[in-house]
Amino acid sequence: MTDLAAAQRLMHEALIFPDADPASAQALFAGDGRLGAAGGLAVYQRGYFLRIAACMREQFPALCHALGRALFDDFVADYIRDCPPERHTLYDLGRRFAGWMEANRPDGAAREPWVDFMIDLARFEYAVFAMFDAEGNEGRPFATADTPDSALRLQPAFALGSYGFPVADYYHAVRRGEEPPLPMPAPSHVALVRTDYIIRTIPLSGTHHAFLAEMLAGHGVEASLGTVAARFGLELESARGSWREAQGSRGRWIEWGFFVGANP
Amino acid sequence: MAAAEDMLTGLPRLGLGLGLRSTHFETILSGDPQDVWFEAISENFMDSGGRPRAVIRAVAERYRLVLHGVSLSIGSTDPLDFGYLAALKRLAAEVRPAWVSDHLCWTGVNARNSHDLLPMPLTEESLAHVAGRVRQVQDYLERPLILENPSSYVRFAQSTIDEPDFLRALAEETGCGLLLDVNNVYVTCFNAGVDPLAYLDAVPCERVVQMHLAGHQDMGSHLIDTHDRPVRPEVWELFRLAWARTGGASTLLEWDDHIPDFDACLAELRKAERYMAGESTPLVPEGRGAGGEGVSNPVGFIVPRAMDSVLEDAA
Repeated sequence: MTDLAAAQRLMHEALIFPDADPASAQALFAGDGRLGAAGGLAVYQRGYFLRIAACMREQFPALCHALGRALFDDFVADYIRDCPPERHTLYDLGRRFAGWMEANRPDGAAREPWVDFMIDLARFEYAVFAMFDAEGNEGRPFATADTPDSALRLQPAFALGSYGFPVADYYHAVRRGEEPPLPMPAPSHVALVRTDYIIRTIPLSGTHHAFLAEMLAGHGVEASLGTVAARFGLELESARGSWREAQGSRGRWIEWGFFVGANP
Repeated sequence: MAAAEDMLTGLPRLGLGLGLRSTHFETILSGDPQDVWFEAISENFMDSGGRPRAVIRAVAERYRLVLHGVSLSIGSTDPLDFGYLAALKRLAAEVRPAWVSDHLCWTGVNARNSHDLLPMPLTEESLAHVAGRVRQVQDYLERPLILENPSSYVRFAQSTIDEPDFLRALAEETGCGLLLDVNNVYVTCFNAGVDPLAYLDAVPCERVVQMHLAGHQDMGSHLIDTHDRPVRPEVWELFRLAWARTGGASTLLEWDDHIPDFDACLAELRKAERYMAGESTPLVPEGRGAGGEGVSNPVGFIVPRAMDSVLEDAA
């Protein structure tokens, strides 16, 4: 290893694990500045955490609200120690956060509901954040009421989520500046869709979620209706009816920009 | 090297510019065009498929633009990230910046990223290492790279070269240009206990394509490069000297934390005109600041507030 590589490795380790070997890290630096070796290194160590914590609070504002800033920052400190940032983009910081929380539950095997809620909320917020900057369909045509079912495809800025808590309701309450209580467990299914760079969160029933999941997997409308009807014990004609009727899903979802029209 | 050198001499003088920040997007695109250019943080836009990419396209249609990176990590001993460079090149082809810049620093090693602009040991080994990578980047991007002096809080014990001399040698070996951040010069020199005027005397001003201005926080014993307040008088004075010596290099104000509205940023930028006209401010010793938690090189502004772009719909 070159001297340069060794110095970089040691300094970077000192940012992630500031207490591991402070003497070796400080020995990298001359002591002739105003801060000295330890004081100068401490500026970088402190900045490393504060800078990333600020970005994580931007990615997880509702989770930060739910935990309180001090506890949220404690989670972030442990998270970036275990999962130091890997990619050049700050947008990637929170990608592993929900998984890390699950693997490092503060309740251990006892599995308290509030921890489950925090993990679900982290999953939801990262999905929203990813949707903000995902490839979308802006500037291109969407499906219309005249687009045949056989040509309907979900647009690129579309995602589904299933949770054990009403996370979207909690998120929107925080967004409105309210102080929502932590919710009780209740299954929820949510669609995220972006049009004109605005993300909409749309609560879904179990059957609607299953249908859209089929379409997200690449199946067409008719095949997806058939799969869902079979899974939920519905008559296929009844499923087709609720899809196509005047107040049915088809019209609303086309209006909300779920679909594009595929070339025949 | 000759190709980079030739392209460097053809770069335009853009006058005064501002950092492109998301809090100003609406004002910039809805108001009358201003006599200003913008510097966009490359990483804000290069991977974007959403609103940021649409915004930078729209800004590029109305204004001169340069791309300024924080993650090239030109000094790292990790391999160059050609995925990053490919995304940067695609963005540059799309918005046609006057130039592309980054920092003389490393941001991580062992496939990990600190998201900070970490200082280099300034040695012959580092110089050879960085020069080789600058050449690769310039060949790949097919344009000269412009490198900025970072603010720093330590000096590596193994360093044998002063920073201005390192920058001069790097520029001569590679044909790259320099982005002289006069606030960073002041912060680095203050923290190192050396004279910023001596730094300015040593820096190769003929290589300076662009300058940065920014505010810093006085912590009493040292300075932190916070980019969160107006430019200090001492930095304006350095700028006055540097502007004259560089022959009027394009100058940009960075404001990255506690960002005021667009007009306030513009007013701070316009103060530069007094110093460009030769007005001199006596050097005033730094007073003790208010303290608090200053963060060097804040990056929170890079992460967009997705929550502001979310609506709730009933099923």
